[in-house]
Amino acid sequence: MRGKRHASIAVVALILGVLLALQFRVSSEPQPAVASGERARELTNDLSELRKEKNNLALDVADLEERVMTARQGIAQAEGAIINEIEKHRVLAGLTAVAGPGVEIILQNVQRAEQPTEDVALFAIRDEELVRLVNELRGAGAEAIAVNGQRLMGTSEIRLAGPFVNVNLTRISPPYQVQAVGDPVVLHSMLELPGGLVETLRDWGIDVQIEVLEELIIPAYQGTVRLEYARPYKEGD
Amino acid sequence: MTGKKSYMALIVVGLLFGLMLSMQFRVTRENIANTSVERIRQLTAEVEQTAEKRDALRDRIDELRKELDEIASLTRHDRLRSELELVRMQAGLLPVTGPGIEVTLNDSPMALQPGQNANLYILHDEDLLKVLNELRAAGAEALAINGERLIASSEVRCIGPTVLVNKTKRLTPPYVITAVGNPETMTAALKMKGGVLETLEFFNIQASVKKINKVIVPAYTGPTGWRHARPAGEGVTQ
Repeated sequence: MRGKRHASIAVVALILGVLLALQFRVSSEPQPAVASGERARELTNDLSELRKEKNNLALDVADLEERVMTARQGIAQAEGAIINEIEKHRVLAGLTAVAGPGVEIILQNVQRAEQPTEDVALFAIRDEELVRLVNELRGAGAEAIAVNGQRLMGTSEIRLAGPFVNVNLTRISPPYQVQAVGDPVVLHSMLELPGGLVETLRDWGIDVQIEVLEELIIPAYQGTVRLEYARPYKEGD
Repeated sequence: MTGKKSYMALIVVGLLFGLMLSMQFRVTRENIANTSVERIRQLTAEVEQTAEKRDALRDRIDELRKELDEIASLTRHDRLRSELELVRMQAGLLPVTGPGIEVTLNDSPMALQPGQNANLYILHDEDLLKVLNELRAAGAEALAINGERLIASSEVRCIGPTVLVNKTKRLTPPYVITAVGNPETMTAALKMKGGVLETLEFFNIQASVKKINKVIVPAYTGPTGWRHARPAGEGVTQ
């Protein structure tokens, strides 16, 4: 009888102790774990992008080392090495047609016959949407992009001019065809991200077709690169 | 020993045990929290190390490019040398200078009223994209944002409170866009009635445009080789 009593008192006191401590803990503990999870994710992303950049830069170094070595062997070799370097930069600038895997996106305004009074302009594709779509593709690592056959350079605009959209000062009209060479899986999954741009466009009633292609060709920039104002900056300029 | 005393002792011991048990549990929980701090520390260190290695590679690239240039200037490759310089300039691999403008953008300084949507009053990547697009349409020849050169493959994306450019460069406000080009044309394009700046002003976003005689736009410093795209068809060599 007495032993039982002792036991039950011990149990009650134990539980009280736990409760007391829990109470204290709940009221005093901040929750850093959530925030740091977010930070960890961000840092992990940064790290993987940095590693990619580092590895790609190492490839650039290897390329250049080979070119310098070749160039030292003689005049003809030097010429070849420099031409190779020029070609590589032409690709980067958008001055050379390129081929590779990627995605093709076709955007088209859909006529909404069932809602004739609705403001159509709200649901039409504007230059802004194309700019954002191109930006998403660049973010997903697209290496070369063309809109309706116009290769995008670093200085290419996609801009409403009157009722039309201009790209590289050339008028384009719907359906809009955006082609991008890059990792097709990454490009595609970026586009189809839930809550992403493509979903928004579809919600607006814009018809967006995405096709993954093993091989597509992106034309070179066709205009002349105008550099009227810019000149190379030299140290101490 | 009386019964009362032993009860008291039991209660005290029980309470202590309970407290200790919970403390123990709490300590292990804290350890979990600490490991995530530890993880952040490790990741940060790793990021810094990788960035250092990257910077070293960049320096090496600069060296090698100079070496190649020197070889080119030694012999009869003068035409090739100037072609190389031109294409580097077009690709964004050379720092450039010239007349231009500097656009500074910052979040709204306004104190929000309760119920107002804060998201409407801060700068988004869309806003930056619009400004950049406007400048391109106005003939900008070279563009950079917070010192990051924008080339054909450059993106501008909001990631949390920062903007990510050229995949690895995190920028924070204020955002300063530098552009080489006709200062009058570019300023007029931005300040057009119903234009980009007017829209931003509606949301109280701070924007200022400054014409500059000699604006400097730095070179792109990221990788230049592609993994998926390769030269195709005619026009490969000229």
